[in-house]
Amino acid sequence: MSPELVGVIGIIVLLLVLFLLGMPVGFAMAVVGFCGFAYLVSFKAAFGMVGTDIWGTFSKYGLTVIPLFILMGYLAFNSGIAEKLYNTAYKWVGHWPGGLAIATIAADEFFAAICGSNTATAATMAAIALPQMKKYNYDTRLSTGTVVTGGTLGTVMPPSVLLIIIGLQTEQSIIKLFLGGILPALLLGLLFVLTIVVLCRIYPEFGPPGPKTSFKEKIKSLTGVVEALSIFALVIGGLYAGIFTPTEAGAAGVLLTLIVTLPTRKLTLQGLINSFKDTLKISCMAFMLVTGALIFGRFLAITRLPFMVADFAASLPVSPYAILAIILIIYLIGGCFVDALGFLVLTIPIFFPLGKALGFEPVWFAIIITMVTTMGAITPPVGVNIFVVKALAPEIDLATIFKSACFFLIACIVCTIILIIFPQIVLVIPNMMR
Amino acid sequence: MAVLEKISNILNQVLLWIAGLFLLAMISITGANIILRLFGLPLRGTFELMGYFGAVVTAFALGYTQIKRVHIAVDIVVMRFSKKTQKILHTVNHLVCMAFFIIVTWQVSKYATTLWETGEVTETLQIVYFPFTYAVALGCLILAFTFFVDFLKSISGDQESSQ
Repeated sequence: MSPELVGVIGIIVLLLVLFLLGMPVGFAMAVVGFCGFAYLVSFKAAFGMVGTDIWGTFSKYGLTVIPLFILMGYLAFNSGIAEKLYNTAYKWVGHWPGGLAIATIAADEFFAAICGSNTATAATMAAIALPQMKKYNYDTRLSTGTVVTGGTLGTVMPPSVLLIIIGLQTEQSIIKLFLGGILPALLLGLLFVLTIVVLCRIYPEFGPPGPKTSFKEKIKSLTGVVEALSIFALVIGGLYAGIFTPTEAGAAGVLLTLIVTLPTRKLTLQGLINSFKDTLKISCMAFMLVTGALIFGRFLAITRLPFMVADFAASLPVSPYAILAIILIIYLIGGCFVDALGFLVLTIPIFFPLGKALGFEPVWFAIIITMVTTMGAITPPVGVNIFVVKALAPEIDLATIFKSACFFLIACIVCTIILIIFPQIVLVIPNMMR
Repeated sequence: MAVLEKISNILNQVLLWIAGLFLLAMISITGANIILRLFGLPLRGTFELMGYFGAVVTAFALGYTQIKRVHIAVDIVVMRFSKKTQKILHTVNHLVCMAFFIIVTWQVSKYATTLWETGEVTETLQIVYFPFTYAVALGCLILAFTFFVDFLKSISGDQESSQ
């Protein structure tokens, strides 16, 4: 049997193990990669490989960035910062038609700048904004869609756990990926706002205007964004200026979030313990994904399958963008069934070399696939953000939340198309870095 | 079996607290290094200690993460099978994962023993680091034990908690 054929069989077995046994993605990749490696090389070599790879990955300095940024996000989640952000945005735009929904997106954008998690951003904002929107008689078709989709900004706006994992897996600069995510996240937020404005024009009952606030109140409320902005400026600014490594930026972010929130007494001891527990769970899951992908990647590398697929695709007499369209459709469909992080880790060993062979800029390609996979978080049947919001608002039925998210899905698709047509939106800031 | 489950829960809780302390140490070391570096006094060996502490953090959280079912899995197909089929699939799943992590424990501890016997030390601090490698092996062993408890639960028909 040729190594390439073994590679194809390996992928089929992996999918069977994933879907039929329900084995977690990280473990499945490690087990199948181990077996394939043992078949092609030897059991002795495979034993040695898992031992050194697991120790090597777990103890790698570059990976210590993962728990630190996750902890920073959880501390922010438990700290009350999001509430202040929402209040500021609410004071400024709450009196517009759909203003509370716009305020939610604005607060999401700021919160995403200190929290790298899609679900944490959605959960935080759902808890704060949904009761407010209910109070001012917002239609649930607008309010739920806003909190569900606003969460996706968390994966594109740095610091993003998803971008960290892609960076580690594809050996790219995490800093450049972070910088590449800033403008797309702002563009996506803008398109969400546009969606709300259009919806409220067509259906004024969706988002009746809230109470007006005085100019003095507006100015006073600006203090609410100082904390989030200063944390973001220190972390991303420090990275950009080369003062910090990504790990140091994560640690600095954790310390600064603590310094900012401890005096407010919003963060309780239980909140702190919960933040640590959640961080340990999520970062352990992420480490296992990276390790599984590494072991599976070792197997795929000796089959030469990724290179063969890449060479084949590059030699096809069609535009690279036609192949990109197929890749994106796979990500869009895959993201609907598998968690975004799991699906990305699973597919990167095949699609990243392919993207490179097609001549796509790696930072741009990473941002595009992140955007597309994240859409899975707001689409049925595995839309994780939808279930997060459902858990917080049990009285609203799932179908309404899904339908509501669909309005915003159009914005996500338009955003991706704009980024494909104008890749410089992604690349302008990373390219400024020397 | 309830006793085994209790032992697994206690072991994983203890390891989780140790992992939490190591995470705290990671933040403190890096924070101290950033501040001391401003005064031209960087903390020696920060990079290597961070890597080894990170290894303990991850390895000691493995079992707890499994108990809480946080590892990303795709259960959309499995859920459509009958309860009986689900039970068989869960049993196989847990057995395979347990076997794999027994192999990992064996290989990582073998590597740790080699590091111990050859007296391998870190580059900057010149300290032995095999205890951290053994710690990773321990974390993997406890994960294998957690899978063993899950396996027992799935064959005994405790469906809800064995998924």
